[in-house]
Amino acid sequence: MLSVKNLSVAFGGVQALKLDQFDLKENELRVVIGPNGAGKSTFMDIICGKTKPDEGSILFKGEELIGMSEVKITEMGVGRKFQKPTVFTGLSVFDNMLLGLKVKKDIISTFFYKTKKEHLDKIHEIALKVGLQDDLDKIAGSLSHGKKQWLEIAIVLLQDPELMLIDEPAAGMSDSEAEKTGNLLCELSNSHSVIVIEHDMKFVEQIAIDQVSVLVRGSILTQGTFQEVKNDQQVIDCYLGAPDSAQAQRSA
Amino acid sequence: MPLGNLLGFVETNTMTLWGRYFCFAIAAIGIDLIWGYTGVLSMTQAFFFCLGAYGIGMYMTLSNLPEGHQLPAFMEWNQVTELPTFWAPFSSFPLAFILSLLVPALFSLIFGFFVFRSRIQGVYFAIITQALALAMFLLFSRNETMLGGTNGLTDFKYLLGFDLRETSTKLGLYFLSFIVLCLIYIYSSFLTKSKFGKGLVAIRDSESRMRFTGYGVSAYKITIFMIGSVIAAIGGMLYLPQTGIITPGRMDVQASIEMIVWVALGGRGNLKGAVLGAIVVNLLYSIFTSILPGGWLYVLGGLFVITVLYLDKGMIGLFQQIQAYIKTFFASDKNNKEAEDVENEVINVSA
Amino acid sequence: MLKSKLLFLTLILGTLSFTAYSFEKTVENSVQTILSNNKTELDSAVNFLVETKTPHTYALIGAVLEKRLYVKGTKAYTLFPGIKSYYEVYPEFKEAESDVAGITPLKLSRKYILKFRPLSKYTQLYTPVAQSKLNAYQRFKQSGTLEDVAFLTEQLKTESDEKVKAAGNEAIYTIWLLSGNEQLEMNALAQLGEGASDQMLDPLEQYLKKKENAPQDQSYILASELISTIQARERFINTAQNLFSGISLGSILLLVALGLGIIYGLAGVINMSHGEFLMIGAYTTYVIQQCFISYLPASWFEGYFWVSLPLSFITAGLIGLLIERLIIRHLYNKPLESLLGTWGLSLIMIQICRSIFGDITAVKSPELLSGGIEVMDGLILPFNRLFIIGLTVFMGVLTYIVFFKSRLGVKIRAVTQNRNMSACLGISTKRIDAMTFFLGSGLAGIAGCAMTLIGNVVPNMGKTYIVDSFLIVVVGGVGKLVGIIASAMGVGVLSKIFESFYEAVYGKVIMLAIIIFFLQFKPKGLFPDKGRLSEE
Repeated sequence: MLSVKNLSVAFGGVQALKLDQFDLKENELRVVIGPNGAGKSTFMDIICGKTKPDEGSILFKGEELIGMSEVKITEMGVGRKFQKPTVFTGLSVFDNMLLGLKVKKDIISTFFYKTKKEHLDKIHEIALKVGLQDDLDKIAGSLSHGKKQWLEIAIVLLQDPELMLIDEPAAGMSDSEAEKTGNLLCELSNSHSVIVIEHDMKFVEQIAIDQVSVLVRGSILTQGTFQEVKNDQQVIDCYLGAPDSAQAQRSA
Repeated sequence: MPLGNLLGFVETNTMTLWGRYFCFAIAAIGIDLIWGYTGVLSMTQAFFFCLGAYGIGMYMTLSNLPEGHQLPAFMEWNQVTELPTFWAPFSSFPLAFILSLLVPALFSLIFGFFVFRSRIQGVYFAIITQALALAMFLLFSRNETMLGGTNGLTDFKYLLGFDLRETSTKLGLYFLSFIVLCLIYIYSSFLTKSKFGKGLVAIRDSESRMRFTGYGVSAYKITIFMIGSVIAAIGGMLYLPQTGIITPGRMDVQASIEMIVWVALGGRGNLKGAVLGAIVVNLLYSIFTSILPGGWLYVLGGLFVITVLYLDKGMIGLFQQIQAYIKTFFASDKNNKEAEDVENEVINVSA
Repeated sequence: MLKSKLLFLTLILGTLSFTAYSFEKTVENSVQTILSNNKTELDSAVNFLVETKTPHTYALIGAVLEKRLYVKGTKAYTLFPGIKSYYEVYPEFKEAESDVAGITPLKLSRKYILKFRPLSKYTQLYTPVAQSKLNAYQRFKQSGTLEDVAFLTEQLKTESDEKVKAAGNEAIYTIWLLSGNEQLEMNALAQLGEGASDQMLDPLEQYLKKKENAPQDQSYILASELISTIQARERFINTAQNLFSGISLGSILLLVALGLGIIYGLAGVINMSHGEFLMIGAYTTYVIQQCFISYLPASWFEGYFWVSLPLSFITAGLIGLLIERLIIRHLYNKPLESLLGTWGLSLIMIQICRSIFGDITAVKSPELLSGGIEVMDGLILPFNRLFIIGLTVFMGVLTYIVFFKSRLGVKIRAVTQNRNMSACLGISTKRIDAMTFFLGSGLAGIAGCAMTLIGNVVPNMGKTYIVDSFLIVVVGGVGKLVGIIASAMGVGVLSKIFESFYEAVYGKVIMLAIIIFFLQFKPKGLFPDKGRLSEE
């Protein structure tokens, strides 16, 4: 499905990412954890074409993603949810979702676009899934932080992606909201490949139904099930351990 | 008002003045589409306005040549013996008409292509377009450009056989401007309600979300930039026969920024606001230049400052706020929901 | 026989000496006739002097032609424009002794002046002003004939100024070159050599035209080689001159752009009224100059500029501070709104200035900064521009030190990177904002003060520079000192170079095209932020 090799990128002389190997199977849910500045978001940025790597290769469904435009990568079936909830604040929730819908997205088509019944059904179905069915007429900018996160997930979902890159979905959510999000992600992994970046270990435990990768200083430190990773001495030293050791790590 | 004119209450000059305001309002709609809806601040709209005006002006110059003259007077003064090639098509009205629209369209296409392709956005785009406005102003001010230098194009008597000094012609142009303004308003409001228009607002709100939702943002921006500049050119085409003169002074940096303030003051992201702003500012201009000639720049400068400091949503936003306030003030509980809706609309406009 | 021969010789010699004597006498008489304004013999005296062409009367004739002739007894005097003391023009040409009391002006009628006119090309050489003398020699290149060569050679023997001497020699070579005598032509070409000045371009080209049908001649080849040497040198001088004026333009732009860039980086404010601080600096200088003229002794006048420099910094800075507190602070991190608002501010500021000072005001440059260094023949670097460059370097270094070596600089950079975090760490962002605006506006004020050295002071002078300065900030990368310096110099030099190839206007258009092209590859400027910082 996704196969990353020898990926590296540096910002102003600082090595931000140096991945030797990263593979993802179909319908796998992979959680990526790691300390601040480990390169997690940069990794996603590179996959979806936002950042150009210095070298390396990313094969998705057998095609090389590096060098492709963001739009092309999105059309290939890669959906990205940002760390900060990014929605179209000036439009209604419905319009937000309408724009996400997987139809032709060139100028002429959108110009003469007429809403079809199947499109409406699809939007209502996804709205129900993320729990926004009652907010369709609201302006997206007026939604709560958590609902914005869900709306962004909904926009990504409507594109019908095969691979979803989800950056800190539970940030700023209440416990019950986070739990709902976790359930949603687990459900999604039945029909999508998903990579989730997360800090909150409690949330990670909930969604780590498959493998967890630990990213430290731009490289994969270890990979395994949640329990394996949690008990790995290296991971504890670098990331999970006492707060002061994490600090020592950062200042080193 | 036309009725008033026929009955003798309203002077013909006032009608022509309003005809001109309508032309400015047309250009303002173009700016609103680009800036208010798409969030791209173009500071070169006055140049496109002038491209339209110059196009028609060139036709009128050639069709108004005095007996026995082959060349416009300013060319004769500059010892030009032959009509420059680029002037030639403008001797026919249909060609001049098409070129007045096509030139700004192509210009904005090419400029937009290079600028949007390299993702120059926000302030950077504003500054680049400002530099473009300056460069074009300087270029058109040169005699070598063969467009009349700083004196511009003027001295027209007839347009398509109509005497421009006749009251009936003036009335006709007034009506034409009004009709075109209405048509463009209708077209633009259709545009903004379409999925395309929603895409524009989406680009304004989050360009990268739009890109990662699979939209070719640059193409959208180029398209709306083109539409906006053609609309500006239409305004210019109607403007020229009503003023009878077009000079590079209409396209300097100041002119473009003033146009933006019309929209900002009226209420950006709202077509009514754009029209309202253009008319109000120009009305104020007419009033102040006759009462207090030196004071106008203070008023204009003050308008800029007040608009950005206090009228974030423009006059339209202010009206809506007042409306909402009145509603909540008088409304009982069951009406609260309505007031909320209005407030939401305000947010919609401002975001 | 021998005796008779001797007698004959004596006779001849006697006659000769007598003739010489009587000639001298007649010249002397004619001059005195003129000086005494003896109407009856004036006609013949003037005619005599015109026909005989006697060099030692030329100075006198020059004075007649210039209508600046003064007489005292048998001596004649003149006054040269721009020189206070009298010059004696007859019997000798020299500076007059101190006692010239009782001299009276003498004007000959127009008729006689016209008669003398043909001699003017000779008489113009009699002047103490080196530049006029040089010009007089240059004129011989067009009007000189072979007969003049002897006269010129004689004149040059006593010439001490090297430049005048060179011009005089070139005049002789030009006469030879265009004489039609091959020997003289070759001689001229050989003498001219590498050192030929650009003034020789015309005669050489004339010569080539004359010899068009014999392009294989050695003289032809020599002449065309000379032409290309001169042209190459001219090109070099032009390039150097362009480079120099480019750097000085870049310096002014840099002073303006530095403030702009720092303020945009810090506060996310596009300050369109920034150019008006340049105007404020210039008018501060103007006001201080007027004060010096009105209230202080004339000998102090020179000092006005050195007082103006710091004061224009402070005035502009304070007004900047005021405007920041009143208006701009409400527009932080709203670049587009701030752009409109500050544009309005600038309109108001210009209008206020116009209503106080009127439209055009000239500021006199201090004596000290007039003139320039002549680096080589024809390449002069004016002191005022050199001073501007020096000032910019000084201010640039100062800004650098403040930014990277002082506590204030650390704080400014901290707020630039993350306002909220800085506030949390106890930095008073309000004070930092105020300080930065003070510094940025002050820099523009200094630029305005420097501008008075090279241009007029007008209310809308800031508008000329603001668009260019913003382009520099865009190209250099926002908030990057090094980038802004590099792009200011680049834009300054490039636009001067384009202006020399094309008209100034086309230069601007080309410059814009280049910048747009450049941004295709580096959309975030020369030195973009990378990684997390670049994310909005």
